[in-house]
Amino acid sequence: MFRLVRFEVYKLFRLRSVRLGLLFALLLPFLWALAPGLKEAYGLVLASGWQVVSLSLLAGMEFLFPFLVVVAASETLGSEVAQGTLKSLLLRPLSRTHLLLAKLFAVLLYPFVLLGASFLGGVLAGMPYGLGAFYGGTGLGEGGFAGAGLLSPQGALAELLRAHLLAGAVLLPLASLALLYGTVFLSTTASALAAVATLLLMRLLVAFPALTPFLLTTYLDLYLRPEAVGLGLPLLLLYTLGFALLAALVFEQKDL
Amino acid sequence: MEALRLEGVSKRYGRRPVLEGVSLSVRPGEVYALAGPNGSGKTTLIRLATGLAFPTKGRAFLLGEDVHKSPAARRHLGAVVEAPAAFYPYLTGRENLRMHARLSGVEDEARIGEVLARLKLLAVADQKVEGYSLGQRQRLGLAAAILHRPKVLVLDEPTSGLDPEGVELVHRLLQELAREGVAILLSTHHLQEVARYAHRVGILGGGRLLDEVVLSGKEAYRLEAEPLEGALALLKTLPQVASARLQGRSVVFEGEPEAALRALLAEGYRVRALAPHRFDLLDYYQERVRHV
Repeated sequence: MFRLVRFEVYKLFRLRSVRLGLLFALLLPFLWALAPGLKEAYGLVLASGWQVVSLSLLAGMEFLFPFLVVVAASETLGSEVAQGTLKSLLLRPLSRTHLLLAKLFAVLLYPFVLLGASFLGGVLAGMPYGLGAFYGGTGLGEGGFAGAGLLSPQGALAELLRAHLLAGAVLLPLASLALLYGTVFLSTTASALAAVATLLLMRLLVAFPALTPFLLTTYLDLYLRPEAVGLGLPLLLLYTLGFALLAALVFEQKDL
Repeated sequence: MEALRLEGVSKRYGRRPVLEGVSLSVRPGEVYALAGPNGSGKTTLIRLATGLAFPTKGRAFLLGEDVHKSPAARRHLGAVVEAPAAFYPYLTGRENLRMHARLSGVEDEARIGEVLARLKLLAVADQKVEGYSLGQRQRLGLAAAILHRPKVLVLDEPTSGLDPEGVELVHRLLQELAREGVAILLSTHHLQEVARYAHRVGILGGGRLLDEVVLSGKEAYRLEAEPLEGALALLKTLPQVASARLQGRSVVFEGEPEAALRALLAEGYRVRALAPHRFDLLDYYQERVRHV
């Protein structure tokens, strides 16, 4: 199983969408660090390199990172169907569930690698602004970017690490959902579109207040609301597990 | 025990039947060729036999193990189900085989070199597969299929995309494997090529197994007589004649030629010719599928 997982991780990071995604995640912070219109657009004047890191996270989580994760998870099955290698794998004495679990592990790892690239890019791009103590905030804690006085580098780092980890957790069910649709449609485009459509549809359910606390989409900004972790994090993990279980059930009986 | 057995296998997509109640078996050392026009269900049958698709009814067994219930049953199986065979293009031929070897529990690196040599691929073994020709991919597919010394080999159009030398190489390899005891099920449109060594041919048409022709040890006779239809009807009534059918302007029958001749003359038929018939699989096949 370890070999299979290792091979699936290797294949995932061979995907063009994944490589491009990592490149974007690494380069995006430089864009923010150099952006001349930050003050006009967001009323923000960068006071610290740590703010570049958080700005990249906030901007990326708005659309780009979820989209990249959904596409990668869809492609992990879709590309194998397109090039015919899925059949070759399943002709081996290998259980379909094991193969899917290996793929799931790879796609659940990807959000953290993506966010790691964004973090690293943010730190590098933020260096000219300094990474020491500063008056202001990371935008992820008390007082937003204005902050609540002097913020130590340790304090900023802790806030950023927590937010990145929570953002990673937010992306897990999206990866799992896309993999589920991958098993249903066996096509990258169809499963990515279906995953995005499901999320959009779920957002519309805010019109049902009784459902809202249990919707996946309610917690897509969990990294900004650490106080909601108590209910949000177990729910996100539950969604991840549920989608993965459904994916395994579908894949076990899927004609190839 | 049969190495591969299909029991009443049916497959429907929605309301459309693709295969209906197909049963067949392949014994160790036997080559079973599946023939049939496009859309007759050959590829579907192969996907069902290898466990890639699930039957609506019926079961498929590899050495007695249900291939759809136990993934481990595929340890006996080597298969190529697409032409050309699919591989990871960014890996070399050798790396692709190494990956397949590990998934099949083969740790012996020398075995990879052995199959590459057997399929004449050593010269390109360390090149990325994206640079391979169709024929080289097809041969690499066969190399992957035999890597773990399977007891059952299932191949969909194994000579598709190969040059004449490659075709010959594959036919020779299949004959060698059959002699080693491997049961081989293959689909083909090239009946005359496989007729040289196949033991049985299954003719599929409209999703049904129309006929099974045993090729080895078959003795048939060609009769020209007048009136032909009457002669055919008479032969069918004789206990010494196992089967009789029209083929062009002759009757081809299996059975005792002396008894058949005596009966025909006794009934007053004019017999113009009676000779051993060299079985023409292609003719037979064309006749069988003509009205499907």
